[in-house]
Amino acid sequence: MAAIAAERYTGASVKRSEDPRILTGAGRYVDDIKLPGMLHAAFVRSPMAHARVVSVDVSAARALPGVVAVFTGAELEEITVPGPDALMALIGLDGPTPEFTLLATDKVRFAGDPVAIVIAESRYLAEDGCELVEVEYDDLPPVTNASFALDPSSPPLFANLGDNIASPHSRSESGDVAATFAEADRVFDFRIDVHRHQNVPMEGRGCVASYDADRDFMTVHAATQSVHVSKIAVAMRLGMEQDKVRVVAGDIGGSFGLKIGASREELAAAAASRALRRPVKWVEDRGENLTASGQAREESFDVRAAVSNDGDLLGLDVKMVIDTGSYPGLGVTVPETVEAMLPGPYKLAALGFESTAAITNKATYVAYRGPWASETFVRERILDLIAKDLGLDPLEIRLRNVAPRTDPPAVMITGRPLVGVTSRESLQRIAELVDIPAFRRRQAEARAQGHYLGIGMATFIEAAPGPREPGGPSGPLGTESMRLRLEEDGIVALFTGQMPHGQSHQTTLAQIAADEFGVPFEQVRVVVGDTDVVPFGLTGGSRSATMTGGVTLHGARKLKAKVLDFASHLMEASVRDLEIVDGRVGVRGDPASAIAVGEVARRAASGQFGPDVDANLEVEAAFDGGEGGWSGGTHCAIVEVDVETGLVSVERYVVAEDCGALINPAVVDGQIRGGVAQGIGAVLLERTAYDEDGNCQSATFMDYLVPTACDVPRIEIEHLQTVPLDADVNFRGVGEGGMIVAPPTMVNAIEDALSPFGVRIYEQHLPPARILELIAAADPGQ
Amino acid sequence: MVDIALTVNGTARTGSPEARKTLADFLRDDLNMTGTHLGCEHGVCGACTVIVDGRAVRSCLMLAVQAAGSEVTTIEGLAPDGGLGTLQQAMWDSHSFQCGFCTPGMVMQATAFLSDHPGASEQQIREALSGNICRCTGYQSIVDGVLLAVERSASPDPAAPHSASPDPTTPPNRER
Repeated sequence: MAAIAAERYTGASVKRSEDPRILTGAGRYVDDIKLPGMLHAAFVRSPMAHARVVSVDVSAARALPGVVAVFTGAELEEITVPGPDALMALIGLDGPTPEFTLLATDKVRFAGDPVAIVIAESRYLAEDGCELVEVEYDDLPPVTNASFALDPSSPPLFANLGDNIASPHSRSESGDVAATFAEADRVFDFRIDVHRHQNVPMEGRGCVASYDADRDFMTVHAATQSVHVSKIAVAMRLGMEQDKVRVVAGDIGGSFGLKIGASREELAAAAASRALRRPVKWVEDRGENLTASGQAREESFDVRAAVSNDGDLLGLDVKMVIDTGSYPGLGVTVPETVEAMLPGPYKLAALGFESTAAITNKATYVAYRGPWASETFVRERILDLIAKDLGLDPLEIRLRNVAPRTDPPAVMITGRPLVGVTSRESLQRIAELVDIPAFRRRQAEARAQGHYLGIGMATFIEAAPGPREPGGPSGPLGTESMRLRLEEDGIVALFTGQMPHGQSHQTTLAQIAADEFGVPFEQVRVVVGDTDVVPFGLTGGSRSATMTGGVTLHGARKLKAKVLDFASHLMEASVRDLEIVDGRVGVRGDPASAIAVGEVARRAASGQFGPDVDANLEVEAAFDGGEGGWSGGTHCAIVEVDVETGLVSVERYVVAEDCGALINPAVVDGQIRGGVAQGIGAVLLERTAYDEDGNCQSATFMDYLVPTACDVPRIEIEHLQTVPLDADVNFRGVGEGGMIVAPPTMVNAIEDALSPFGVRIYEQHLPPARILELIAAADPGQ
Repeated sequence: MVDIALTVNGTARTGSPEARKTLADFLRDDLNMTGTHLGCEHGVCGACTVIVDGRAVRSCLMLAVQAAGSEVTTIEGLAPDGGLGTLQQAMWDSHSFQCGFCTPGMVMQATAFLSDHPGASEQQIREALSGNICRCTGYQSIVDGVLLAVERSASPDPAAPHSASPDPTTPPNRER
């Protein structure tokens, strides 16, 4: 018994409490909501990438039986507030920002831009209505790539900007760039491209907006990573006071960065609900998701690398161009993070960095799992290219350049300390897990028989949340809050601003609270998704393990202290003598004295105690991240490339990673595997393609290919779990790392497989046709 | 509108859907059975998979009127008492899913497949599930769940499979 009592939920692969409902069809997703009198919305979307809207004729649509209303862009503008992207307005960017309406008014800016919203008794009828809307367009030259966008002759998408630059060109230097390059033995030049691809959650965007005219009150049932950010957006765009808006959310079918706040379409649906005084549902279809929800990653990098003859990477000078698409949002902020993260865990002495964000006639650039991931791709790709030229092994060049773990820690040339970073250990562990000399022998034998095997590795760090900043919290998003309450039925309720969409918070936070407070796991309830009851928060940026795990730990201790303090009055015992074990409060060493925590709560609520006794068994807690720290690790792939067909198969994929202490190992492994699968997809399959007129060519799952069960290998994971930094909270986030590091891991392996052909790879998307082109174009003499 | 009668999860049901209404929309809107999910509405992702007369079917590609007279099983009907069947239990024990949106289709596809291939291998399972997209998991935990169900179905002792679980990352919930 003693052994069991000492056991903790935290650190065990406790089965998810989300699963019984999910496995029986009892999950409640936004499209499952049906309200009395609910109407359905569908959007008329532009077939043109860039055009003036000459006229919109909605008369035939309005006349269709079952259609309740049609709003053009101009009509919707009259009842809403134009402005920049709501999230950007929250962050507060410098410089001029494009202001835009929820629906296009004077012009359309990408193929898929919403022009009118049709509201009808069913989705079928709403789509029928869309077919009847006649829009006359006047073509404008499409701006379909960043280089044309940056050409002064390109027609500006937004009149108030005058050009197609979303944020002005900027340059900054860390360290002495000129001297570092002057002293280098070798200077390499590379041009690295990352292609456009996207989140593709299995559930697209959607909402049910329900306006109560009697109370002038808007309730929005949303699929969002933050009910509070959505609420702010709704209030801002509808011109309502924030206390007149409530956003609630149930189960959410994935997001990966797509569903932060409320999109233009969701806000348009809310505006329609207010105008019609009836609930309006909008759920996007897959075509809308692929063409209009948002896309990510299309970036190019001109890289100069200062290197010693021994393989020391001394400095980098990088020019980045990011294609933010139309209606610029979060993409504008990405270059700054790319710059900060470019040194990674390496001893880089100097970094010059300049960036330009271009506006183009494509869907908007959105956050996608590790939005700054290209820094890892660029760095890990050029390390292999440099190693090849210098005759070094990929492992050797990395071990040579990673900063050693020292006290005080080494500091990235861009400023942040590499506290607790175990890149060197993860590289060494990968070398042990994958016997590289044995692989090289097997590779040589296979090549002799016409089989092209390759091995690739890449290492990364992830600020999840990041090291403590002097005088401030860990990580960029500030403190995390939580309200905790002991209910009269003995339930410990946690009210969190986290908005889980697959991350298993209902399970993992309950594990921590159960251990810290002293109740069975089943006696903790995690309350999410209602702006009326949960504090501000956001699920994203791999921050919840540390931030929410930490506030749960400290909050549960605070609540426990309060319950024990009250119980000391109730039981007439000293607080020091009381404990909570298995949901019962009792005097240590006297189990017969124990009473259930629910009974304690009922007595507290009875009102029989005077004002000198605090009987309010509720606490508010905040956590600033403690000592914070980095996640990170090294991934390794072994692939085979069929040089006749260009097909790549992944024979083995090994992960050695360090996210500190694990809350639930099965949940952590699931996050890593899911990220790796998306990274493998990004390299072998996925690409958002536009033709030269700006038509999206990847509007179905037959054209935008995501990995299937036959494309993703078993992924072997080893957790290093080193370096406790904080006295209590050493959980670090793990949501984004797999997607950040898998692309360079895969491309490095593919280039290694093709090394007999002299192939050098400067891009990320390598479908079979591209592999064959690379082989055909290569110089075997290299 | 077309009058139809069919059996859903063992219960006789009638309805009058429009001829163009998909079986998925009929189940979700007319019968209020929202366990069946729509992920692409063009037959690729498999989230809407249900079992019609013993075969796995994409309910977004089948019209409700085509199901007239058929026996339809949805995720809600797998374990009618609100509990979990062998496959669902094995998937819970294996941490198979994350966001849960693909789950109904994945479970129904695997159910139909296992009824014809009760001793399926990992490769057969991967191929059988390759028409169902999951964006969260990388599939390994789902495949492990189906393999565990295969193992348990083959074992006459209901207690045995738990201790024989091959994957150290998916231990059963510990008892307290």
